[in-house]
Amino acid sequence: MKKLPLPAVLGLAVGAGLLALFVLGLIASGNQGRRPEVGKPAPEVTLTLYEGYRAGLPSTVTLASLRGKPVVLNFWASWCIPCRDEAPAFEAVWRKYRDRVVFLGANYLEVEAAALPYLAQNEITYANGFDLQQQVSRAYRITGVPETFFIDRDGVLRAIEIRPMSVADLEANLQALLK
Amino acid sequence: MKRRHTPGRTALLMIVALLLGALLAPAVARGQDGGLDERTREVAKRLNCPTCAGRNLADCPTDTCAQWKAEITAQLKAGKSEAEVTDYFISRFGAGVLQEPPRQGGYLLAWAFPVILFIALCVAAFAVARRALRKEPAPVVPAAGSDPYLDALERDVQEG
Repeated sequence: MKKLPLPAVLGLAVGAGLLALFVLGLIASGNQGRRPEVGKPAPEVTLTLYEGYRAGLPSTVTLASLRGKPVVLNFWASWCIPCRDEAPAFEAVWRKYRDRVVFLGANYLEVEAAALPYLAQNEITYANGFDLQQQVSRAYRITGVPETFFIDRDGVLRAIEIRPMSVADLEANLQALLK
Repeated sequence: MKRRHTPGRTALLMIVALLLGALLAPAVARGQDGGLDERTREVAKRLNCPTCAGRNLADCPTDTCAQWKAEITAQLKAGKSEAEVTDYFISRFGAGVLQEPPRQGGYLLAWAFPVILFIALCVAAFAVARRALRKEPAPVVPAAGSDPYLDALERDVQEG
């Protein structure tokens, strides 16, 4: 076998290094994969719930552990005005369907000092928590807040809503999930 | 007495104004970041703004950044060291919050690669230069029939 000249070997090594850096960068930025598709299994969720905002769930909740009940997963932040606008609708619909549907609020990139006063001000009582190391927001490829994902009792993603939701919007989606 | 404005005096005034501006700029910038204390600023400088790609937390005025800076201040006041506060943000939001990649695991490649690239380029340049210097120039042999004088000389030699 013909031996490659040294500059070619070095060129290949540098090329391989650049490729490795590119892949590393993609992984670090969380850009691997695409937004989850409606009709396909929803990406796994692991949320660490805030003290006082567990609604009967354990301190760390996973989507797999909620199989059998539809799940409404809502990403929010305290600085987000549309999130604040839709908060009463979420709370009202949660109270109405609490025996049949699990509501999960996932705070986006905030510390408790900002998130907890927001939950208190909006009198939220359904389960809310933080997204450790941004794993959930990356898996769902959210582009901002608010975003809401409707997952059926078998863990299949049924709808994605990238807008503030009203009571009517939420109920329409829930009716489809509860069929 | 009326003072004359000469070009020299104007230039001198401009230089003094520029120097004053340069001296006061850091103080003005400190005033604009909400009067961060030095330790908070040191930690914030090592972190990224979570919502503006690539922007330094210390220099970002968004609400989320203000919350993070307030959290840094609170944790420092509670007795945590700067490293512990930084570790909290990494454990909570991931290594992507750091301005520089950590010097561990796969991230070491990001630090090592520029050095490896530089060494590889030096070795390649050395190898190419050495090969070029080793090659001796081939003797120049004029092709037969290219020079009538040489052809005649060749014939004379062969005929004796």
